[in-house]
Amino acid sequence: MNSTYYVCKYTPIELLAAFGARCENLNGMQAGFDRADQIAHPNLCGFGKSLIEAVLAGQVKELVLVNCCDTIRSVCDVLQETGKLDFLYLVDMLHGDGVCSRERTVAQLKGLARAYGEYKGASFDPEAFRAAFHKPERVRGPHLRVLGARMGKELFEMVQKAMPYPVENDTCVHNRSVGEVLPPEGADFDSLMDWYAGELLHQMPCMRMTDNTGRKALFNDPDLKGVLYHTVKFCDFYSFEYAQIKQHLAAPLLKIESDYTLQSSGQLLTRLEAFAESLDTTRFEGKEKKMGKGYFAGIDSGSTSTDVVILDKGGKMVTGIILPTGAGAAAGAERALDEALAQAKLKREDIDAIVTTGYGRTAIAEGDKSITEITCHARGAHFLDPTVRTVIDIGGQDSKVIRLDENGNVVNFVMNDKCAAGTGRFLEMMARTLELDLHQMSHTGLNYKEDITISSMCTVFAESEVVSLIAQNKPTDDIVHGLNKAVASKTAALAKRVGGEERYMMTGGVSKNKGLVKTLEEKLGTTLVVSDQAQLCGALGAALFARDLVQGN
Amino acid sequence: MQVVETFGRYVEQWSGPRPRRAQGLLRLGWEAQNFKNRHLPDKRLLPADRYLATVMMDAMLKPLQAPASSAIVSVFTPCELLQEAGLNPYNVEGFSCYLSGSCAERGFLQQAENAGISETLCSYHKTFLGAADKGVLPRPACIVYTNLTCDANLLTFRRLAEMYHVPVFAIDVPMQQSEENVAYVADQLRQLAEFLHTVTGRALDEEALRARLRRSRRTLEKFRECQRARADRYVPTDLVTPLYSGMTNNILLGSEAVEAYADRLLADIKAAGPARGKRIYWMHTIPFWSEAVRHALAFREEAQIVGCELSQVCEPEFDPESPFEAMAWRMVYHSLNGSALRRIEAGIRRARECGADGVVWFDHWGCKHTLGSAQLAKKKFEEAGLPLLILDGDGCDRSHGGEGQTATRLEAFLEMLGEGGQPA
Repeated sequence: MNSTYYVCKYTPIELLAAFGARCENLNGMQAGFDRADQIAHPNLCGFGKSLIEAVLAGQVKELVLVNCCDTIRSVCDVLQETGKLDFLYLVDMLHGDGVCSRERTVAQLKGLARAYGEYKGASFDPEAFRAAFHKPERVRGPHLRVLGARMGKELFEMVQKAMPYPVENDTCVHNRSVGEVLPPEGADFDSLMDWYAGELLHQMPCMRMTDNTGRKALFNDPDLKGVLYHTVKFCDFYSFEYAQIKQHLAAPLLKIESDYTLQSSGQLLTRLEAFAESLDTTRFEGKEKKMGKGYFAGIDSGSTSTDVVILDKGGKMVTGIILPTGAGAAAGAERALDEALAQAKLKREDIDAIVTTGYGRTAIAEGDKSITEITCHARGAHFLDPTVRTVIDIGGQDSKVIRLDENGNVVNFVMNDKCAAGTGRFLEMMARTLELDLHQMSHTGLNYKEDITISSMCTVFAESEVVSLIAQNKPTDDIVHGLNKAVASKTAALAKRVGGEERYMMTGGVSKNKGLVKTLEEKLGTTLVVSDQAQLCGALGAALFARDLVQGN
Repeated sequence: MQVVETFGRYVEQWSGPRPRRAQGLLRLGWEAQNFKNRHLPDKRLLPADRYLATVMMDAMLKPLQAPASSAIVSVFTPCELLQEAGLNPYNVEGFSCYLSGSCAERGFLQQAENAGISETLCSYHKTFLGAADKGVLPRPACIVYTNLTCDANLLTFRRLAEMYHVPVFAIDVPMQQSEENVAYVADQLRQLAEFLHTVTGRALDEEALRARLRRSRRTLEKFRECQRARADRYVPTDLVTPLYSGMTNNILLGSEAVEAYADRLLADIKAAGPARGKRIYWMHTIPFWSEAVRHALAFREEAQIVGCELSQVCEPEFDPESPFEAMAWRMVYHSLNGSALRRIEAGIRRARECGADGVVWFDHWGCKHTLGSAQLAKKKFEEAGLPLLILDGDGCDRSHGGEGQTATRLEAFLEMLGEGGQPA
């Protein structure tokens, strides 16, 4: 028997069950959207595309949609045209829950009952209807909550695994509350539908409902230890709620965005782990180690370079080196550690503990513990300058802004999305177009004359703007300044999003770019602390955590 | 252009720290532009279209000149009730276009994104929200919106109402076409009349409303006649004129000015020369700022825009004697309400009506309704014998440009249609 799939909590699944349906929430993430992209636009939200993908793959034969949003309505039109479904129905759910809306909802329920009954050749079974109501189960005690737009099954499992508390999924379709109350006994079909329409409409409202003030209850729970706020790329509904709560929520908050593909998990894992680290500092303790010669190493394996710092037991930096990562994180780390040991005239056994960080952190076998670069950068920055409250790190493949408290703990952080705009890679690509090396690039924009604006945020389009500026014989200084402004705007926007406070420190390789630092200072309206050790900040934080692992420190 | 850019930069810079000064500058600049529209208009346009530019500019100036008697609306809100209540409606899309035309949109877009609003939200909405956030938009008397065709409405207007602390009214429009749904919307419009009474203290004169609805119907009939007459005429046009009628035929429908425009336009079209060049019907909004689109389609005998979907979103077949049902009918039977096929079929009908050779389906960044049905539209228009180009871009935000790509696609499409003697 085929499952009847649904995607929205307002779907009358108990009514479908009364006609013999086996209802299932369609919520898997896809490996890619090859099929969907052929018949729909790539900028449709990932969930919409994952629906199309699932149908085209033959996984779904019966689908009941609700007019949740423009995407779902479009998906319904597109799927209708494919003719691949045995049963496709769109419920026209209204946006209010008043008396008139309820009447119109009853009409919708009856319309669905008629269509599905005809399709199944079945009639309404009051017993099956009643049996379909189940009281929703909820996590009790201290917990975290995923809120916002629907979260794919695989990503939610990853969240559960990464977090130090149980996690409740209260996104979109998942906080369906129908089933708290059973249908009245002995009522006829019309009365049942009237009651049922009320049950559906009076659930915790989603963001498409006109009055969604009831959603405040989601954030006011004494057992709430933190919120992971999830949005789906190209779905705008929940960014409005995020914008509203981010200033006022007392519990720790992490914003993550997915595109409903399995591939996006790598970058998200770093954010999840960093958030988990900020919730539970005991996680840094790791396996306790005995003091040996009193040297500790931190290895930061980034996409461009691998950095190693070795500290002595007094916290003094014995050595710090930066090498290109090369093809593999593990080999790059080994090479960098060997080089650092040689420079410090130490042997591997002289090192009491090693902490790894950066993208390659888990691929490195050498370490005693791995900690995200977010927590390590915060720790390193605090060590270098305890007055710093905001760290801006523009790395090769991402940029991040981290807010710290007076003890160097992470209070909040934000990272750019998967796009290269605003990262070190963006500047590298533009330098290549302008035939400059990175050192030249860092000075070139300082003496600009014309204030050029590069309007495209997309790296590819920005590059074509640069090419056209070169064709117009615009001086290189002016173009580079325009590029610095583009990166600085993106970065300043991240800083504002995370509630950046003075003093600001800039870390990472891009901190050596004088033109960019100056433009960013103008955008932020303040000066940036740029330490001599700016590039080693992550590795330094890791080495400090390594020192913590050892008894007596 | 440099003057406009400098103007925009000052509006952007002053908004936030000195919002009143930014508002004043914006008003001054737009009044100067309106003076130019009246006294030194673009002579390449038909006289009717020169007049339309002043009607549209007036509508966007009023919220700056008299905010207390202005109301923010979504573009497909029936505005006859607001006009009767003495309120000047202005819509998000129109106002954001003017901000973008003044080269002031970048800072407002950034402001909205900084606040946490998603980057993929429609840029008209994002610009407007950012401008409101920065204090450039004065506080309106109230806000009236509908969910019709656009999800962003559900979010933007609620946020604006919270921001301004002004009364807000939402019209819920079901997506299926039925008389029960017309009655459901008509009831809400009666409540809207009461709401406006409370806001303005002005009681509704139903007879005056009927007269206004009669004018609305006449205007739409005349506009349809214009489009039919245009089929064998050459009407020189820029990129904003078709957009203006897309706004005025919605938010100013029922006003004397818009009926006067339809009368003048009909007279001008009848006097225009015979059709020439390739004729493009445009679905959705037009990126008026794009040099690539301007180069291909503005004031060109070889190729020009002959109609825009937004100016004809319903048939003039409602009964003005039942004004609430008439307005409700317009919403429920709106071309963009319900399945995308209704929108596509209406587009095919109207493109044929004005003698179009081809159609551009403009995928405005962030408009999920348009993006979602683009491929379906291509299939259906082409089955109906109308070649269709799907063009990705942004009606408001220059950073979503890609001018090179736009130029190549549009010019190749015109070549494909056989423009300039090229083989079709």
